[in-house]
Amino acid sequence: MQCAWLLRVWLEPLGDLSVRAMQAGNPSKFALGSRGTRTGTPEFLALLQPQIQLQETAETLLNGQEMQFWLDKVVAWGQAERPDTQKDTSLHLSRLSSYLQQLLTHINDMSSTTETMKRQPLLGQLLGRLCWNPCVTADDTSRGLLLQCLWGLYSENPSNAVERKANQWIRKVLCQLATEEDDAAAQALMKHMGVPPKEYHLKVLRKAVASLQENIGKSCSSLNISQRCSCDSILATSEACVPLVTCPEAAPLIGALLQRPVACVRATLSEDFLDALSSAYSSQGLSLEEQAVVSLWYHRLSTLEEAVLSLLESVLTNKGSVLKQAEENERVKSLIQTFTSCFLRELALLQPQKCVSLKAFFPQSPQSLLVPLLTLPSELPQEAWRHHLNWLSSSLQRLTEEGEEGDEDSSCSTRGHNRMFEAWFLLVQCAHWVRVTLQLLGTSGPEDCGPLLWLLTFYHHPTNRGHQRALQMVHAKEAWGHLHSLFSVSARPLSLDHLQSLVTLLSPQPKQPSLSPLLILSLLVNFAVFSQQSLSGSTHILQTVVDRSGLVDEAACVLSSLELKLNEGSCLSSDANRVHLRIEALQNTLTHMHAAMEPC
Amino acid sequence: MRGSKRGTHCCWTTENQDKRQRQWLSTAQRLNCERRERHMEAVLKNLASTAELLAAAAQTGVVEHWDKQTLSRAFHWARYCEHLFSRFHNNSPVRRAMEKQLQLTNQSLQAALPGYSGVSFSDLSRCQHQLLVGLLNNPNLPTSVMKILFDSSPVDTKHSKYQDVTGLCSHIIQCRSVCKVLSPLTDSSAVGADAEVQGVMLMERLGAVMSQDSEACRAEHFLDSVLQGCEGEAKHFCLVIAAALLTMENAAAETASQDFLLDWLQKKHSVLEHMCSALPTALLMDLAKEHVKFRVAYCDILKNWASDMEYSINDGEWVQASTNPTVSFQKLTEHFLALFETCPSLRDDVEKELNALKISDGDFDVRGLSVWGDLLSALNK
Repeated sequence: MQCAWLLRVWLEPLGDLSVRAMQAGNPSKFALGSRGTRTGTPEFLALLQPQIQLQETAETLLNGQEMQFWLDKVVAWGQAERPDTQKDTSLHLSRLSSYLQQLLTHINDMSSTTETMKRQPLLGQLLGRLCWNPCVTADDTSRGLLLQCLWGLYSENPSNAVERKANQWIRKVLCQLATEEDDAAAQALMKHMGVPPKEYHLKVLRKAVASLQENIGKSCSSLNISQRCSCDSILATSEACVPLVTCPEAAPLIGALLQRPVACVRATLSEDFLDALSSAYSSQGLSLEEQAVVSLWYHRLSTLEEAVLSLLESVLTNKGSVLKQAEENERVKSLIQTFTSCFLRELALLQPQKCVSLKAFFPQSPQSLLVPLLTLPSELPQEAWRHHLNWLSSSLQRLTEEGEEGDEDSSCSTRGHNRMFEAWFLLVQCAHWVRVTLQLLGTSGPEDCGPLLWLLTFYHHPTNRGHQRALQMVHAKEAWGHLHSLFSVSARPLSLDHLQSLVTLLSPQPKQPSLSPLLILSLLVNFAVFSQQSLSGSTHILQTVVDRSGLVDEAACVLSSLELKLNEGSCLSSDANRVHLRIEALQNTLTHMHAAMEPC
Repeated sequence: MRGSKRGTHCCWTTENQDKRQRQWLSTAQRLNCERRERHMEAVLKNLASTAELLAAAAQTGVVEHWDKQTLSRAFHWARYCEHLFSRFHNNSPVRRAMEKQLQLTNQSLQAALPGYSGVSFSDLSRCQHQLLVGLLNNPNLPTSVMKILFDSSPVDTKHSKYQDVTGLCSHIIQCRSVCKVLSPLTDSSAVGADAEVQGVMLMERLGAVMSQDSEACRAEHFLDSVLQGCEGEAKHFCLVIAAALLTMENAAAETASQDFLLDWLQKKHSVLEHMCSALPTALLMDLAKEHVKFRVAYCDILKNWASDMEYSINDGEWVQASTNPTVSFQKLTEHFLALFETCPSLRDDVEKELNALKISDGDFDVRGLSVWGDLLSALNK
């Protein structure tokens, strides 16, 4: 997939960025979001390449040392006291799963159980002991692999006593695992009261989770490091939860652990716990609530990276649906734009040998627009911006006209429609030019604003259902006109008509097509920042409009976003200082407004 | 009913009216009755079939031909029987009819299958488990069916006619394992999660029995049978009782049940004694704090223990004469002190009592002569 290669090239120079997101053994496939086995520690990662390993090498790995190591481990786990056993098991769980995967491959490669047992005489003992380790059977992955290994040893047509015995043993173990009860007293009582075992165990599980959750919720206010507090149990609880990350009933407990405010030094989460969560996250085995997932992102950056990458991948592969969702969804557009600008930055840093033509990365975008759009505003002199944008605007207009023609010929119109969409998508990816458009609109005169307004309207409303764009353009011009009058230096006193009209335009319109309020808000903010109107005047206008239309938060958002882009873009206008001071002052005003609106 | 008071000539006289009304009612009743009877017949038939199904699943080769559909259907019927149990176990006439049916079915199955043990009505409460045990112990069960039950892959909620049995065993194993993994963490609290759940269930059942029957004897009989069932597991039973007395889940209904339980406990001296000697002090304190009746009983037991003690010159200490269960003088003192700390109001009364007893013993201040005197001085150290 071109997208996969694109993303991978981007990832390579950034070595620290989530190599774990990519399956170690699959360099040819960017397997994001696919169900995979656990990633193990480095030495075992190297071993997880079955297609490269030869049969003999695999066998030598499974003989002797490793089997003995695990058997010794499992025997020790069966003997020791429970909390220590569990901790050690949790620590080794992912490695154990990798080993079980190897064993399973080995078992499946053998022609019969007899052969398997001949080559691995200790195998039965190992598997048998593992069945009775609750950490191993609690975890989805290891339990699944263990059961598959057992089935692998089952012979449908046993040919000798060994195989018959093995069959019997397997059936017995499975039966015991599913039906035998070790707490006889409890079972007797429950039977007396007519409660089935499954219901009982589920209830106990839920009760345990609830009481642990309650304990975790208790906040710790100890400032003294030497003082004991309840937070000591957090680490132990998180360690115990390593095998439970994919258990849906344990989700509330895991969520509570993740969301616990990190106030106390002692309230740390086990690294193995976070590792297990990341692993489960990669294979989509987690069943946590949204808030818990967000907390996981905070604890483990790699999971956030994965989330972003999978979102981007879905965006880039389902462009059609993106169009429908991105209209009015500024966050998605921002994400696309940020990704693209980071990508271009990294591309520029690559060695010349590896440099590939841009066309390879944007194969579907209209080629005539590619370089003009990808060029950063900082690469052109400021005086050239307007001319550049005018050219962009007219090119895009031509493209959209072509796209919207040809209603009779369906194939032609689809192609044209696609070209138009690709052009819009490219514009979204290169939204630095949209920012410049807004800036220039803040300082243009009425004769210059036409093409710029068109570009802005197109950015916010790419589809032209029922030729609505003409009407939207009218509204856009109206809004711009009001803003121009309000912010013109000579306008004193403040024209209430213009203000009110603007507020009306910003309010939700009952009939379609309405102009995006975000478009108008962006214009307003840019006018406030870049126009020649005094700071106090601009502040007053902004404040009044935002107050009456109830869009304080949205305006603050636009303002911060503008500041971010100006900071990173390094393509400020010559009076950089002035701009920053104005933005700061406007932000303060909005913050105060927001605070005033909060209930006491 | 239409009524008219126009006169005797009208056919709708009050007499006729009543007669017709009675006729109509009796017909309606009769129809209703018939409908219920037919329904009952169907239910009994289903019950019999499921009992036969359980027997077949456990002991015959019929299962060799089972597939996922058959499996799901079998568990569906087992669930149906569990539902019958929960619906009718308090409804004597229906329950009797079902028991009778099961008896008949058991007889015919025992004739056909050697070693068949039969299904009782109370077994129905865990019918699915019964079915599962039977299946997994049946060597004729094909591995394909077993693999469905032990499937560990994530549950796919397909819209099948019957509830999905895929991964049923895998889920059971997971559930039990997770409980085991979490239990060392929860044991730090007074009662474990398992005892708590058992306590809650006990209270629920007690409450149900009490609400269904205003006579106290049924509820008492229920508790007696539970105690009997826990024969040999005295400590476990004590823990469950303690948990039951401390549950706060459904305050209103619970108070009556807990009160009843406390009254019942007063009559079971050995249980109370065992509780006081075997349960951790913290738990006893929680109980004393919550329930006055328990506090009083607890006090009485401590006094009984004290009165049972003799001074051993060899040991230089008071020891209990009886052997079961033994409590040291030291432990007795600790019990009293803990009790006073939890319920300070008790201290004065108890000390007064002990003093009176000391006086009756001769009011000596020399050690070793009166357990009450020594106790008092130990408490006031």
